[in-house]
Amino acid sequence: MLNSFIPILAFLFQEVVGNDRLAQMKHAATHPDLSKFLVIGALLFIIGVAGVLTRRNIIVIFMSIELILNAANLNFVAFSRYLQETGSVNALAGQIFTVFVIVVAAAEAAIGLGIVIALYRNKETIWVDEIDLLKW
Amino acid sequence: MILSGYEALFFWIFALAAIFAALLTVMARNAVHSALFLISSLVSVAALFVLAGAEFIAGVQILVYVGGVMVLFLFVIMLVNVGAEEHGREEIFNNRRQVTASLIFCFLLVAGVLYAVNEGYRGLQKSRPIPENALGAGTRPTETGPPGATGTSMITKDTEAVGNSLYRYASLPFEIASVLLLVAIIGSVMLARTLKQEASADDVDPELLQEEIARDSELAKLEPQSE
Repeated sequence: MLNSFIPILAFLFQEVVGNDRLAQMKHAATHPDLSKFLVIGALLFIIGVAGVLTRRNIIVIFMSIELILNAANLNFVAFSRYLQETGSVNALAGQIFTVFVIVVAAAEAAIGLGIVIALYRNKETIWVDEIDLLKW
Repeated sequence: MILSGYEALFFWIFALAAIFAALLTVMARNAVHSALFLISSLVSVAALFVLAGAEFIAGVQILVYVGGVMVLFLFVIMLVNVGAEEHGREEIFNNRRQVTASLIFCFLLVAGVLYAVNEGYRGLQKSRPIPENALGAGTRPTETGPPGATGTSMITKDTEAVGNSLYRYASLPFEIASVLLLVAIIGSVMLARTLKQEASADDVDPELLQEEIARDSELAKLEPQSE
Protein backbone atom coordinates (compact mmCIF):
# COMPACT_ATOMS: atom_id res chain seq x y z
CA MET A 1 0.00 0.00 0.00
CA LEU A 2 2.80 2.37 0.93
CA ASN A 3 4.58 1.46 -2.29
CA SER A 4 1.68 2.65 -4.39
CA PHE A 5 1.21 5.72 -2.25
CA ILE A 6 4.66 7.23 -2.70
CA PRO A 7 4.55 7.71 -6.52
CA ILE A 8 1.12 9.33 -6.21
CA LEU A 9 2.43 11.70 -3.56
CA ALA A 10 5.49 12.44 -5.67
CA PHE A 11 3.29 13.12 -8.70
CA LEU A 12 1.01 15.44 -6.71
CA PHE A 13 4.05 17.19 -5.27
CA GLN A 14 5.47 17.64 -8.78
CA GLU A 15 2.14 19.02 -10.02
CA VAL A 16 1.87 21.52 -7.19
CA VAL A 17 5.48 22.67 -7.12
CA GLY A 18 6.23 22.50 -10.85
CA ASN A 19 9.08 20.84 -12.69
CA ASP A 20 11.51 23.77 -12.75
CA ARG A 21 11.12 24.45 -9.08
CA LEU A 22 11.45 20.71 -8.33
CA ALA A 23 14.72 20.52 -10.25
CA GLN A 24 15.93 23.59 -8.40
CA MET A 25 15.02 22.03 -5.06
CA LYS A 26 16.73 18.80 -6.01
CA HIS A 27 19.86 20.67 -6.97
CA ALA A 28 19.76 22.64 -3.72
CA ALA A 29 19.40 19.41 -1.73
CA THR A 30 22.25 17.61 -3.46
CA HIS A 31 24.52 20.68 -3.40
CA PRO A 32 24.15 22.25 0.05
CA ASP A 33 25.73 25.68 0.25
CA LEU A 34 26.30 28.34 2.91
CA SER A 35 22.59 29.02 3.39
CA LYS A 36 21.95 25.39 4.40
CA PHE A 37 24.56 25.67 7.13
CA LEU A 38 22.93 28.90 8.30
CA VAL A 39 19.49 27.27 8.38
CA ILE A 40 20.81 24.35 10.47
CA GLY A 41 22.49 26.85 12.80
CA ALA A 42 19.26 28.84 13.10
CA LEU A 43 17.24 25.73 13.94
CA LEU A 44 19.74 24.62 16.60
CA PHE A 45 19.68 28.16 18.05
CA ILE A 46 15.88 28.18 18.26
CA ILE A 47 15.73 24.73 19.83
CA GLY A 48 18.19 26.01 22.42
CA VAL A 49 16.10 29.13 23.08
CA ALA A 50 12.99 26.98 23.48
CA GLY A 51 14.85 24.81 25.97
CA VAL A 52 15.99 27.81 28.03
CA LEU A 53 12.48 29.26 28.10
CA THR A 54 10.47 26.12 28.84
CA ARG A 55 12.47 23.69 30.96
CA ARG A 56 12.37 23.59 34.75
CA ASN A 57 15.60 21.70 35.39
CA ILE A 58 18.42 24.25 35.74
CA ILE A 59 21.01 21.80 34.40
CA VAL A 60 19.02 21.21 31.21
CA ILE A 61 18.79 25.01 30.86
CA PHE A 62 22.59 25.16 30.96
CA MET A 63 22.74 22.44 28.31
CA SER A 64 20.38 24.47 26.13
CA ILE A 65 22.73 27.44 26.47
CA GLU A 66 25.52 25.20 25.19
CA LEU A 67 23.30 24.39 22.20
CA ILE A 68 22.85 28.11 21.49
CA LEU A 69 26.60 28.78 21.64
CA ASN A 70 27.20 25.78 19.39
CA ALA A 71 24.75 27.11 16.80
CA ALA A 72 26.69 30.38 16.77
CA ASN A 73 29.90 28.40 16.25
CA LEU A 74 28.37 26.64 13.26
CA ASN A 75 27.58 30.02 11.68
CA PHE A 76 31.11 31.31 12.32
CA VAL A 77 32.69 28.24 10.71
CA ALA A 78 30.33 28.29 7.71
CA PHE A 79 31.05 31.97 7.03
CA SER A 80 34.76 31.33 7.46
CA ARG A 81 34.63 28.71 4.70
CA TYR A 82 32.57 31.02 2.50
CA LEU A 83 35.07 33.85 2.92
CA GLN A 84 37.97 31.48 2.17
CA GLU A 85 36.34 30.75 -1.16
CA THR A 86 35.67 34.39 -2.00
CA GLY A 87 39.35 35.03 -1.35
CA SER A 88 38.98 37.29 1.65
CA VAL A 89 42.22 38.32 3.38
CA ASN A 90 41.49 37.27 6.95
CA ALA A 91 39.02 34.48 6.24
CA LEU A 92 40.14 32.39 9.23
CA ALA A 93 38.86 34.99 11.71
CA GLY A 94 35.64 32.98 12.01
CA GLN A 95 37.46 29.86 13.13
CA ILE A 96 39.55 31.85 15.62
CA PHE A 97 36.43 33.43 17.04
CA THR A 98 34.96 29.95 17.42
CA VAL A 99 37.92 28.94 19.59
CA PHE A 100 37.18 31.87 21.91
CA VAL A 101 33.48 31.03 22.01
CA ILE A 102 34.39 27.49 23.11
CA VAL A 103 36.69 28.92 25.82
CA VAL A 104 33.91 31.18 27.11
CA ALA A 105 31.44 28.27 27.02
CA ALA A 106 33.78 26.13 29.10
CA ALA A 107 34.26 28.92 31.66
CA GLU A 108 30.51 29.54 31.74
CA ALA A 109 29.80 25.85 32.34
CA ALA A 110 32.32 25.68 35.20
CA ILE A 111 30.96 28.78 36.95
CA GLY A 112 27.33 27.90 36.26
CA LEU A 113 27.64 24.38 37.61
CA GLY A 114 29.46 25.75 40.67
CA ILE A 115 26.45 28.00 41.24
CA VAL A 116 24.13 25.01 40.79
CA ILE A 117 26.05 23.06 43.44
CA ALA A 118 25.95 25.98 45.88
CA LEU A 119 22.26 26.53 45.18
CA TYR A 120 21.42 22.87 45.68
CA ARG A 121 23.30 22.88 48.96
CA ASN A 122 21.26 25.83 50.25
CA LYS A 123 17.83 25.36 48.65
CA GLU A 124 17.73 21.59 48.02
CA THR A 125 16.14 22.08 44.61
CA ILE A 126 17.12 22.25 40.94
CA TRP A 127 13.71 23.45 39.68
CA VAL A 128 13.99 27.04 38.51
CA ASP A 129 10.41 27.89 39.48
CA GLU A 130 11.22 27.11 43.10
CA ILE A 131 14.34 29.29 43.12
CA ASP A 132 12.73 32.69 43.62
CA LEU A 133 14.88 34.41 46.24
CA LEU A 134 15.24 37.55 44.12
CA LYS A 135 11.57 37.68 43.19
CA TRP A 136 9.13 39.81 45.19
CA MET B 1 30.81 26.98 -0.52
CA ILE B 2 29.09 24.14 -2.31
CA LEU B 3 29.24 20.53 -1.20
CA SER B 4 28.39 17.74 -3.60
CA GLY B 5 28.34 13.96 -3.88
CA TYR B 6 29.09 12.14 -0.64
CA GLU B 7 29.78 15.43 1.14
CA ALA B 8 26.16 16.47 0.50
CA LEU B 9 24.86 13.10 1.69
CA PHE B 10 26.86 13.30 4.92
CA PHE B 11 25.88 16.93 5.35
CA TRP B 12 22.18 15.99 5.47
CA ILE B 13 22.77 12.95 7.68
CA PHE B 14 24.70 14.96 10.27
CA ALA B 15 22.43 17.99 10.02
CA LEU B 16 19.34 15.87 10.73
CA ALA B 17 21.18 14.03 13.51
CA ALA B 18 22.20 17.34 15.11
CA ILE B 19 18.67 18.76 14.99
CA PHE B 20 16.92 15.63 16.26
CA ALA B 21 19.47 15.16 19.03
CA ALA B 22 18.98 18.81 20.00
CA LEU B 23 15.20 18.37 20.09
CA LEU B 24 15.56 15.28 22.26
CA THR B 25 17.95 17.18 24.54
CA VAL B 26 15.25 19.70 25.23
CA MET B 27 12.45 17.15 25.50
CA ALA B 28 14.02 14.24 27.40
CA ARG B 29 12.54 13.61 30.82
CA ASN B 30 15.74 12.33 32.43
CA ALA B 31 18.59 14.86 32.67
CA VAL B 32 21.18 12.16 31.99
CA HIS B 33 19.42 11.34 28.71
CA SER B 34 19.46 15.06 27.91
CA ALA B 35 23.22 15.12 28.44
CA LEU B 36 23.77 12.07 26.22
CA PHE B 37 21.62 13.55 23.44
CA LEU B 38 23.52 16.82 23.76
CA ILE B 39 26.75 14.87 23.29
CA SER B 40 25.45 13.31 20.08
CA SER B 41 24.30 16.73 18.87
CA LEU B 42 27.73 18.20 19.56
CA VAL B 43 29.47 15.33 17.76
CA SER B 44 27.19 15.80 14.74
CA VAL B 45 28.00 19.51 14.67
CA ALA B 46 31.70 18.59 14.86
CA ALA B 47 31.15 16.47 11.73
CA LEU B 48 29.55 19.50 10.06
CA PHE B 49 32.67 21.49 11.00
CA VAL B 50 34.79 18.88 9.21
CA LEU B 51 32.54 19.21 6.14
CA ALA B 52 33.00 22.99 6.28
CA GLY B 53 36.75 22.51 6.29
CA ALA B 54 37.46 23.36 9.94
CA GLU B 55 39.19 20.20 11.14
CA PHE B 56 40.94 21.92 14.03
CA ILE B 57 37.69 23.36 15.39
CA ALA B 58 36.03 19.96 15.09
CA GLY B 59 38.80 18.40 17.14
CA VAL B 60 38.63 21.14 19.76
CA GLN B 61 34.85 20.77 19.88
CA ILE B 62 35.09 17.06 20.67
CA LEU B 63 37.97 17.44 23.13
CA VAL B 64 36.62 20.42 25.07
CA TYR B 65 32.84 20.00 24.84
CA VAL B 66 32.39 16.25 24.79
CA GLY B 67 35.49 15.38 26.78
CA GLY B 68 35.42 18.19 29.32
CA VAL B 69 32.22 20.16 29.61
CA MET B 70 29.82 17.25 29.22
CA VAL B 71 31.68 15.12 31.76
CA LEU B 72 31.36 18.06 34.17
CA PHE B 73 27.63 18.22 33.41
CA LEU B 74 27.22 14.50 34.05
CA PHE B 75 29.07 14.80 37.37
CA VAL B 76 26.79 17.61 38.50
CA ILE B 77 23.68 15.70 37.39
CA MET B 78 24.82 12.71 39.42
CA LEU B 79 25.45 15.01 42.41
CA VAL B 80 22.19 16.92 42.46
CA ASN B 81 19.62 14.86 40.56
CA VAL B 82 16.85 13.95 42.93
CA GLY B 83 15.53 11.30 40.53
CA ALA B 84 11.97 12.56 40.72
CA GLU B 85 11.54 13.49 37.08
CA GLU B 86 12.14 10.15 35.40
CA HIS B 87 9.37 8.47 37.37
CA GLY B 88 6.88 10.99 36.03
CA ARG B 89 6.25 12.55 39.41
CA GLU B 90 7.51 15.98 38.42
CA GLU B 91 6.51 18.17 35.51
CA ILE B 92 9.58 18.81 33.34
CA PHE B 93 8.31 21.98 31.67
CA ASN B 94 7.36 25.26 33.24
CA ASN B 95 3.70 26.15 33.65
CA ARG B 96 1.44 26.17 30.62
CA ARG B 97 1.26 29.92 30.05
CA GLN B 98 5.02 30.28 29.98
CA VAL B 99 5.39 27.37 27.57
CA THR B 100 2.74 28.73 25.19
CA ALA B 101 4.23 32.23 25.23
CA SER B 102 7.73 30.94 24.61
CA LEU B 103 6.61 28.59 21.83
CA ILE B 104 4.82 31.46 20.07
CA PHE B 105 7.97 33.54 20.47
CA CYS B 106 10.06 30.70 19.07
CA PHE B 107 7.83 30.27 16.02
CA LEU B 108 8.13 33.98 15.30
CA LEU B 109 11.89 33.62 15.71
CA VAL B 110 11.95 30.65 13.28
CA ALA B 111 10.04 32.62 10.66
CA GLY B 112 12.15 35.75 11.12
CA VAL B 113 15.49 33.95 11.14
CA LEU B 114 14.72 31.78 8.11
CA TYR B 115 13.50 34.84 6.17
CA ALA B 116 16.59 36.82 7.17
CA VAL B 117 18.94 33.96 6.27
CA ASN B 118 17.46 33.59 2.80
CA GLU B 119 17.34 37.31 2.04
CA GLY B 120 20.77 37.92 3.49
CA TYR B 121 22.29 35.02 1.60
CA ARG B 122 20.85 36.29 -1.67
CA GLY B 123 22.32 39.73 -0.99
CA LEU B 124 25.65 38.18 -0.01
CA GLN B 125 25.84 36.20 -3.23
CA LYS B 126 25.32 39.44 -5.16
CA SER B 127 27.86 41.49 -3.24
CA ARG B 128 30.51 38.79 -2.71
CA PRO B 129 30.13 36.12 -5.37
CA ILE B 130 32.28 33.01 -5.22
CA PRO B 131 34.73 33.15 -8.14
CA GLU B 132 34.10 30.53 -10.83
CA ASN B 133 37.34 28.63 -10.27
CA ALA B 134 36.44 27.98 -6.61
CA LEU B 135 33.28 26.06 -7.49
CA GLY B 136 33.12 22.29 -7.50
CA ALA B 137 33.62 19.43 -5.11
CA GLY B 138 36.30 19.72 -2.51
CA THR B 139 38.04 22.83 -3.85
CA ARG B 140 39.54 24.71 -0.97
CA PRO B 141 42.05 27.51 -0.85
CA THR B 142 43.80 25.94 2.13
CA GLU B 143 45.69 23.26 0.27
CA THR B 144 46.38 19.81 1.60
CA GLY B 145 49.78 18.53 2.53
CA PRO B 146 51.60 15.60 0.95
CA PRO B 147 49.76 12.28 0.83
CA GLY B 148 50.34 9.86 3.65
CA ALA B 149 52.00 6.45 3.50
CA THR B 150 48.95 4.83 1.91
CA GLY B 151 48.96 7.48 -0.77
CA THR B 152 45.31 8.32 -0.21
CA SER B 153 45.10 10.16 3.10
CA MET B 154 45.56 13.90 2.82
CA ILE B 155 46.49 15.95 5.85
CA THR B 156 44.92 19.38 5.59
CA LYS B 157 46.74 22.56 6.44
CA ASP B 158 43.76 23.98 8.31
CA THR B 159 45.32 23.51 11.74
CA GLU B 160 48.53 25.19 10.64
CA ALA B 161 46.63 28.12 9.14
CA VAL B 162 44.46 28.56 12.26
CA GLY B 163 47.52 28.42 14.50
CA ASN B 164 49.33 30.99 12.37
CA SER B 165 46.53 33.49 12.38
CA LEU B 166 45.64 32.79 16.03
CA TYR B 167 49.08 33.93 17.15
CA ARG B 168 49.49 36.61 14.47
CA TYR B 169 46.16 38.44 14.76
CA ALA B 170 44.68 37.29 18.07
CA SER B 171 47.52 36.84 20.54
CA LEU B 172 46.16 39.40 23.03
CA PRO B 173 42.67 37.83 23.12
CA PHE B 174 44.39 34.47 23.48
CA GLU B 175 46.16 35.63 26.64
CA ILE B 176 42.95 37.23 27.95
CA ALA B 177 41.18 33.91 27.38
CA SER B 178 43.77 32.12 29.51
CA VAL B 179 43.20 34.64 32.33
CA LEU B 180 39.44 34.10 31.94
CA LEU B 181 39.89 30.36 32.36
CA LEU B 182 42.00 30.92 35.48
CA VAL B 183 39.29 33.16 36.92
CA ALA B 184 36.68 30.52 36.10
CA ILE B 185 38.68 27.80 37.87
CA ILE B 186 39.16 29.88 41.01
CA GLY B 187 35.56 31.13 40.91
CA SER B 188 34.04 27.68 40.65
CA VAL B 189 36.23 26.37 43.47
CA MET B 190 35.14 29.32 45.65
CA LEU B 191 31.48 28.83 44.76
CA ALA B 192 31.37 25.12 45.44
CA ARG B 193 33.01 25.22 48.88
CA THR B 194 30.96 24.09 51.87
CA LEU B 195 30.70 26.13 55.04
CA LYS B 196 32.93 23.56 56.73
CA GLN B 197 35.64 24.04 54.15
CA GLU B 198 35.28 27.80 54.44
CA ALA B 199 35.51 27.61 58.21
CA SER B 200 38.64 25.46 58.15
CA ALA B 201 40.24 27.99 55.81
CA ASP B 202 39.27 30.69 58.33
CA ASP B 203 37.34 32.50 55.65
CA VAL B 204 33.96 33.08 57.33
CA ASP B 205 32.54 36.09 59.11
CA PRO B 206 32.93 35.22 62.87
CA GLU B 207 29.34 36.22 63.74
CA LEU B 208 27.94 34.07 60.95
CA LEU B 209 30.11 31.19 62.09
CA GLN B 210 28.73 31.49 65.64
CA GLU B 211 25.19 31.38 64.28
CA GLU B 212 25.96 28.31 62.22
CA ILE B 213 27.65 26.60 65.16
CA ALA B 214 24.51 27.19 67.19
CA ARG B 215 22.59 25.33 64.47
CA ASP B 216 25.14 22.61 63.73
CA SER B 217 27.51 21.65 66.54
CA GLU B 218 29.75 19.66 64.17
CA LEU B 219 31.24 22.94 62.96
CA ALA B 220 32.64 23.79 66.38
CA LYS B 221 35.18 20.99 66.09
CA LEU B 222 36.72 22.72 63.10
CA GLU B 223 37.42 25.95 64.91
CA PRO B 224 40.70 25.03 66.64
CA GLN B 225 42.15 24.23 63.24
CA SER B 226 41.56 27.70 62.00
CA GLU B 227 43.49 29.37 64.81
